[in-house]
Amino acid sequence: MEPSRFDEAAFFAALHASGARALLIGRRALVLLGLPVLTADYDFWLSMDDIAVFNAVAGQFDLRPSRSPEEARRLGRYVLENDEHVDVLVARSMAAVGGAAIEFEALWSRRQSVPVDAAAVAVPSIDDLILTKQVAARPKDLEDIALLRILRDRRA
Amino acid sequence: MTDPRIDARINRMVTAEEIRRALDRRIPSSERDEVEQLIRWFTTRYPTAGARLRYVRQAYDRWRKPGEAPPPTDEHVAPPR
Repeated sequence: MEPSRFDEAAFFAALHASGARALLIGRRALVLLGLPVLTADYDFWLSMDDIAVFNAVAGQFDLRPSRSPEEARRLGRYVLENDEHVDVLVARSMAAVGGAAIEFEALWSRRQSVPVDAAAVAVPSIDDLILTKQVAARPKDLEDIALLRILRDRRA
Repeated sequence: MTDPRIDARINRMVTAEEIRRALDRRIPSSERDEVEQLIRWFTTRYPTAGARLRYVRQAYDRWRKPGEAPPPTDEHVAPPR
């Protein structure tokens, strides 16, 4: 089997051109903002209305969805993959550990746009990234919260 | 394949109390200085987001290759010393 030839910059450019409301979250977002962390995959939080558009973009790069859009809406998440692995959340809101609700629309309204080559990638604000880290809430997310707090203070 | 016991520790869900501590704790100046040094190195050497993404993909690929050493710090891409 031949490995896929995933062109990351082209993927972000196609996503930007599609108009899909997709927030890059997870460690790849931290890298964009200047934090040197390693990550294997991509994490997006996607508007529930834009699954088909997002999947069409992914299809240009041979990324295949693990679930139909209907199933994804019901379960709140799905995966796109070939050699790459893209986790996609499609919930209107998520609950942080401790119970606070985090709404997609609120994060989208406060997003920042980070230029990546000829495109722009939508990323939550630093405060909102800290909130998203309280959903998966693994030990490494606590480490990321510290990194984000320092980055936020540095920018203040 | 990761040992299931290690996997369980890495991927366990932390408690609300642990999160509260992570949000509220005073970050020691030594930790802050170390992270700021990493950020300075990373954003100076790779001043654009595109360059940073490409570097991290390359670093991860190198790390994943059999026989390659793991990253020099815990999942941080450290500057050469």
